[in-house]
Amino acid sequence: MAFFTENLLTLILFFPAGAAVLLALLPARNEKLIRWVALLASLVTFAFSLVLWFQYDPSLEGFQFQTKVDWYQVINSSFHLGIDGISLTMVLLTTILTPLAILTSFTIKERVKAYMVLFMLLEMGMLGVFLSLDLLLFFVFWEFGLVPMYFLINQWGNEKDEREIWKGKKIKARTYASIKFMIYTMAGSLGLLLAIQMIGVSAGTFDLPQLFMIWKDVQGSFFGLDMNAVKTIAFWAFVVAFALKVPVWPFHTWLPDAHTEAPTAGSMILAGVLLKLGAYGFIRLVLPLYPEQAKQYAGVLAFLAVAAIIIGALNSFGQEDFKRLVAYSSVNHMGFVILGIAAAARVQGGENATLALNGAVLQMFNHGISAAAMFFLVGVIYERTHTRDMNEYGGLFPLVPIYGGVLIFSSMAALGLPGLNGFVSEFLVVRGSWPVFSVYTALGMVGLFFTGAYVLKSLKKVLHGPLNEAWQGKLTDINTREMIVAVPLMILMLWIGIWPAWILKVINWTVGWMF
Amino acid sequence: MAMDTLVWLLPLPPLLAFFLIILFTYPKKGLSHSISIGAALLSWLGSMVVFFNAVGKGPEGLGEHPFGSAVNWLPVGKGWFQIGVAVDPLTAVVLFFVSITILMITLYSVGYHNYGQPAGDHDRPGLPPEGATQDGHKVPSVEPLYSRFFGFISLFAFGMYTLVVSDNLLTLFVGWEIMGLCSYLLIGFWYGKLSARAAMIKAFLVTRIGDVFMLLGIAFLYSATGTLNFREIFFNEEVLHQLTTTPAGFLGLSSAGLIGILLFIGTVGKSAQFPLHVWLPDAMEGPTPVSAMIHAATMVSAGVYMVIRIFPLLSAGAEHGALTSPMVVIAIIGSFTALFAATIAVAQRDIKRVLAYSTISQLGYMVAAVGIGAYVAAAFHLITHAFFKALLFLGSGSVIHGMEHGVFHTGDHLDAQDMFNMGGLRSKMPVTFWTFLIGGLALSGFPIVTAGFWSKDEIFADAFAHGHLAVFITLALAALLTAFYTMRQISLTFLGGSRTKAADHAHETPWTMTLPLVVLSVFAISFGWLGIPEHFPLLGGIIPNWLGEFVASSLPHSLAEIDFNWIPLATSLTVALGGLTLGWLIYRDLPQGAEDPIKKWLGPVYTLLENKYYFDEFYDRVFVKPATWLAETFTYKWLDRTVIDGVLHSVARAAQVIGSFLRNKIDLPIINGFGDAVGELTAKAGEKVRFIQTGKVQQYMLIALVVAFGTLFYFLTQ
Amino acid sequence: MIPLSWYLIFAAALFSIGLYGVLARKNIIAILMSIELMLTAININFIAFWRYSLPGQMAGQVFAVIVFAVSASEVAVGLALVISLFRRVKLIAADEINLLKW
Repeated sequence: MAFFTENLLTLILFFPAGAAVLLALLPARNEKLIRWVALLASLVTFAFSLVLWFQYDPSLEGFQFQTKVDWYQVINSSFHLGIDGISLTMVLLTTILTPLAILTSFTIKERVKAYMVLFMLLEMGMLGVFLSLDLLLFFVFWEFGLVPMYFLINQWGNEKDEREIWKGKKIKARTYASIKFMIYTMAGSLGLLLAIQMIGVSAGTFDLPQLFMIWKDVQGSFFGLDMNAVKTIAFWAFVVAFALKVPVWPFHTWLPDAHTEAPTAGSMILAGVLLKLGAYGFIRLVLPLYPEQAKQYAGVLAFLAVAAIIIGALNSFGQEDFKRLVAYSSVNHMGFVILGIAAAARVQGGENATLALNGAVLQMFNHGISAAAMFFLVGVIYERTHTRDMNEYGGLFPLVPIYGGVLIFSSMAALGLPGLNGFVSEFLVVRGSWPVFSVYTALGMVGLFFTGAYVLKSLKKVLHGPLNEAWQGKLTDINTREMIVAVPLMILMLWIGIWPAWILKVINWTVGWMF
Repeated sequence: MAMDTLVWLLPLPPLLAFFLIILFTYPKKGLSHSISIGAALLSWLGSMVVFFNAVGKGPEGLGEHPFGSAVNWLPVGKGWFQIGVAVDPLTAVVLFFVSITILMITLYSVGYHNYGQPAGDHDRPGLPPEGATQDGHKVPSVEPLYSRFFGFISLFAFGMYTLVVSDNLLTLFVGWEIMGLCSYLLIGFWYGKLSARAAMIKAFLVTRIGDVFMLLGIAFLYSATGTLNFREIFFNEEVLHQLTTTPAGFLGLSSAGLIGILLFIGTVGKSAQFPLHVWLPDAMEGPTPVSAMIHAATMVSAGVYMVIRIFPLLSAGAEHGALTSPMVVIAIIGSFTALFAATIAVAQRDIKRVLAYSTISQLGYMVAAVGIGAYVAAAFHLITHAFFKALLFLGSGSVIHGMEHGVFHTGDHLDAQDMFNMGGLRSKMPVTFWTFLIGGLALSGFPIVTAGFWSKDEIFADAFAHGHLAVFITLALAALLTAFYTMRQISLTFLGGSRTKAADHAHETPWTMTLPLVVLSVFAISFGWLGIPEHFPLLGGIIPNWLGEFVASSLPHSLAEIDFNWIPLATSLTVALGGLTLGWLIYRDLPQGAEDPIKKWLGPVYTLLENKYYFDEFYDRVFVKPATWLAETFTYKWLDRTVIDGVLHSVARAAQVIGSFLRNKIDLPIINGFGDAVGELTAKAGEKVRFIQTGKVQQYMLIALVVAFGTLFYFLTQ
Repeated sequence: MIPLSWYLIFAAALFSIGLYGVLARKNIIAILMSIELMLTAININFIAFWRYSLPGQMAGQVFAVIVFAVSASEVAVGLALVISLFRRVKLIAADEINLLKW
């Protein structure tokens, strides 16, 4: 038992990988077995993370459950894992969403084995980012998660559409989307890798807890450049890498494409967890490592965040494609996360920063839940109608009453209705950033208004209005398997909306000692 | 203390009812409505216990120590953000009318949705029931989504109770928004109709404009004071003083001023004040109990309730009777709305739309009252208005129901809500008539008897006594119009002879619908007697002005008593009686197919009023269309697809061009060419020298020998 | 005692006979035999020089033994090749075998 507790993080991290190996050994023809093994493996990982959640002591300072093994001694990089309240929340999110996404993927018919193996590897990559306490390790997992996602979009994505790149040149939309996703992230990673190397060379270690203590005060020069200039450059390299992933306006255009073309479960994970990697990078690395630069450039970040909030909402409002509408809503919602982070960066401590960061982290979790639910629901209706064009739906509520109820519920959570989860985090962010960036926060309200507009637009076009007779008798309501996916998400939305203390307690304390 | 716990429990029965109905009992109509009514009844009983306990405790005790308690809700930094409940005198009286109207409306819905009638022949979920054939007759059919209605209305009740019992702005906002959601769902209850679908979205979005400002106001207040609890802010001189002295850095307002205005914008949206009034008339697309719920008991009152709640903040810093800047804004918007909406109501044909505009106008009264500092009068009018407006809406629902019955009978296709199709319903629907008359008279402020008179009179008196003449005159004009259109409505509907066959065959509605009418009409008359000013001639002091004292004790400082003056009373009497008489004279016996008589006199103005000053069209042109264009064309097609993706594609294209240059101009000719050339050269050289390879071993050896000897010879001769 | 030069002359004569055989004979077996003659001539030189210059050491004898071993294996491989070649092309004349020639 002691062994189990001491190595819990390693276990959580590599259990999916082990499951991937096991899946690879199973006969490809037995799809049912593969599906159930994958589901079971992800559920076990979830169970581990629950154990972690309950064993974690939120009242302690510092990282808990640390594991440190020498990995690459020459450059002082080690296999160092550990969690605090922020990463714990994200681990929980990842492990909740993965089984649900796998359950959603039960409708995948082709190459089930490869799909499930990739999915397990994806889970490992994401967990690795959240658990790493070593910059190099962080980067390894950061890149690792890309590969399975690329193949999921590229191979299992939507087959139909084409995208025109420039005059007359057309390629398959899913190819386009997957390459765009890959290249965008790689472009960011490039600077990230260089900046990480630079930190490693000048500080002599890649270990995060050590860096948090020494990096701020590292002086001297690097290749003849003043250390402050070097730090600023490295800061921007970090910011760009994470901003691409969040995504912050104007780096967001990969997102609607990737989300729209990915298979349903892929979109769920993409919106639910992968976007959080960027925001997590901001909180874990940018704020503690570059407090001065972050303070100096917080205004720029806040501006981009507000641009993301407003333009994301407007874009979403302008869509006729249901999935793309939901995809753009992620830009809108993640804008609030960045706004909160920017506010915390500007004031550096104090009540406003704490509230803003609490809000940002909680918004990450909440958006993970509600965006996953929304993508899932889009997937449900897409599987039945084979179209994403909202103009072709029309008044489906009488045909799919339960689905309609679930959709309205989840949409309201996305809209930030008080009593559901989105409101708590949005309120905290607005509260935290108002005294810091009053004008930006006020402008963000325009985005919040349009959030309402696009959510209602989707409900209007899908559920309400005169029934489109073409669907009469052709649609079936949401089935049991799909309800099993939806219900946990709905419970979480309601639970956090009504009683956010259970999760916020964990976040709040960590934010308190860290910043 | 038991009372503290009881307050927590008030909102819960409706919430439980909502979940029970939506999750489990929706297939069973009877069970669903029983649960909903049971929940409303429980909450009503609880509210009554709380109310009478509050009254028993007396104004002094309760004002100082309200019932309630708080719990830790949100960890913020080192401390906690607390939420809780509190019942002070204002809450207690609001709870009184809210609980009773909710109960009545729920009960009324049973009859309204034709419980017990057969299922319709062609009815569909999301469309109003169109009747069933039974024994060869066409009869009304039961609503297909009957249970869902009760679920929603229970959730609505939960929102209102939460809002009322909250001790802080955040949970107030939670209740506020939950009601917003319910109004969205209920206005769009018949979502299959395009008009209903448009109205539901309009209602949600227009109020959301107010809500986002309100959220900002809440955030501002929270960051400025560190709490959202009403008492901690409003009963704390220091906090208020600090708020009024800190500039907000915007338009020269103080923090208190800006917060007040931001919060008030929330009220503008929720209570349908100009310029965000446009959603409320359209909200008439919902079933009638919804109109009553939204327009009387809950949502619109919530806006006024909130400004009354934050009154200490609004009035903070007011000196020597001068109004603070938010109060000026509030007074202007309120009185303008009162007059503006009253003019529109004059030219409406739809029985419910008249009431909708009248609601906007009456809310304007209350808002204006808060604006001029008549805190108690505003609360008083809020309560009396809730009773008589709920009564009027339910009455109009009853009329429509009776008319629909007639329409089914005759089979004509006519609008059952158009007042010009009615007439002479007095004898057909006596209970509805008498109760409607009571409500109408209360709305017009018929002297002495009705509640509306007392509350309206108090607003007039306050406005006059504090010297706000502009407000006073505007409100008086509005009151004249109110009396006029009310009488117009009553006359067109009930008096004279029937103008259509359908109206001939209309008949009285079932007891579940008339009982609430009777109960509400009792309150529409008697409730005003609780607030008769002490200095009123003859009547003053017979019944003590209990309400005024009680409600005023919610404030930390008592308001100055005003002296009696004949001018406002005379004005009030004149406009009420004058308007009523005028309406009766013009409309008392309109013949069949007649046009509206005032149409001739007003000419183009009438058209303007009939079209509501073209506000919908104006907003559509100026806001909705540009926003849509901005979203679809500018941000998506242009900014995202053309500019950003364009840049990306250009980069991709440039990369491709560079790549193909490198391949076609550098790689292929130069690097590959060099490699190939080396290979070929070698091959050619080999070709040339291969003849020496004879393959004969002895020849090679001979050559080797010769060379060896040659070398030897060379070195030896050196 | 016989002078060293006699041995050297004898060895040179033997070597020349071998060389002539290698260069002049057509038969591969004869060529192999001639090579043996040349190796024998070298061995005589080794032994003679050892005996006359460094009799105390044994390097000359060791070299001679190594040359025996080399020549024996060379003949073994050479003869095996010749047999295999003969089986295939029925020829043992050196200048007529030109399979590897361009």
